[in-house]
Amino acid sequence: MTRPAMLAAQGLAVALVIGLLALLVWRVANDNSKGVAQALKDGEHPTAPAFDLSRLDGRGRFDLMSLRGKKPIVLDFWASWCVPCIHESTRLEAALKRYGDRVAFIGVDTKDFSGDARDWQRKHGITYPSVHDGSGSVLAKWGGLPIPRIFFVARSGKVVGELIVEEDLPRYLRQIAAS
Amino acid sequence: MRRLLPIVVFALLLVPTARASERHPTLAELEGEVMCPVCETTLDQSSSPAAQQIKRLIATRIAAGDTKTQIKNRLVAEYGSAILAAPPHKGFGLVAWWLPVAGIVAAAVAVGFGARRWARSREPAPADPPLDAASERRLDEELSRFEG
Repeated sequence: MTRPAMLAAQGLAVALVIGLLALLVWRVANDNSKGVAQALKDGEHPTAPAFDLSRLDGRGRFDLMSLRGKKPIVLDFWASWCVPCIHESTRLEAALKRYGDRVAFIGVDTKDFSGDARDWQRKHGITYPSVHDGSGSVLAKWGGLPIPRIFFVARSGKVVGELIVEEDLPRYLRQIAAS
Repeated sequence: MRRLLPIVVFALLLVPTARASERHPTLAELEGEVMCPVCETTLDQSSSPAAQQIKRLIATRIAAGDTKTQIKNRLVAEYGSAILAAPPHKGFGLVAWWLPVAGIVAAAVAVGFGARRWARSREPAPADPPLDAASERRLDEELSRFEG
C-alpha cells in the first residue's frame, strides 16, 4: 500500500471513530425517554404518550389520542402472568361501576400472549376494554416493568398521577372525573 | 481439495438433522432460541411466570405438530421480533449477522498488510554496486596516502 493510500485509510478510520463517538454523545444528550413514571416522580405532569394498538377483543384498534379533550382516562398496564394484576384490575372493575360514565377505563395487556389474556379477563370478570402491547414498547414509554402500573390521565391529556398506594385510586379518580 | 472433503461431508451430515429440527422441534431447543420478555434471558434460564406461559404455548404448538418456523412466527406476531434470541436473517437483522464477519475479514486484511510490511523491513538492504576501475584506483591511492 502506498503512503498516500495508507494515510487516507488511517484518516478514514479516525473519522469513523470520531463520527461514532459524536453519535453516542448526541444520543445520550438527547435521550428524553425517561418515561411517564419517572417524570411524575420528578414532580412533572407530562402529556400522555400516544399509542395506537389492536384491541384484545379483536374489535379493531384503539388510539389513545381519540379521547384527548373528551374524557379522562384510567390506564391499566397488566398481563395474564402477573398475579398482583388480578387484585388491581378487580379494583378498577369495581370503580368502573361508579365512574364508568365519566371516565374511560383502558387496559394495556403487555408482554403477554393474547389468547391467555382474553381467558384471564373472562376468568376474573374484567369488562373494560384492553389493547395488546405484546412487545412492551408502549409500557416502556410509561415506565416499564414491574406491573401492574395504573396511570390517571386528565381530560386535557396530562398525566395526573400513578397509583402507588391504595388511597391513590379514589383520590385520583375524583380528581380526573372533575377535570 | 482433499483437506476440504471432511468439512463438506460433515456439513452434509448436518443437513438431515437441521431438517428434523425444523419439522419436529423440541421444547428444549426452542427454550434456547426464545427470550423471556420480562427477564431479558432465554427461556431456558428463566422460571418467571411470563417464561412459563411461553413454554406452555410452545409445548402446545409442538404437540399440535407446528414446525419451528411456525412456532417462532406465532411468537413474533404476539411479542414482536425481540422475542427471538437471534436477530432474523433479513432486513436490518442481517447487519448483526454479517458485521462481525466483515470485521474479521477487515482485521485479517489489516494484519496481512502489517505482516507484509514488517517482513519487507527485515529484508537485507541490496548490496552496493561494485566500483568502476577509475574509482577503485583512486580509492587505493587515497588509502595508501592515508596509511603512508
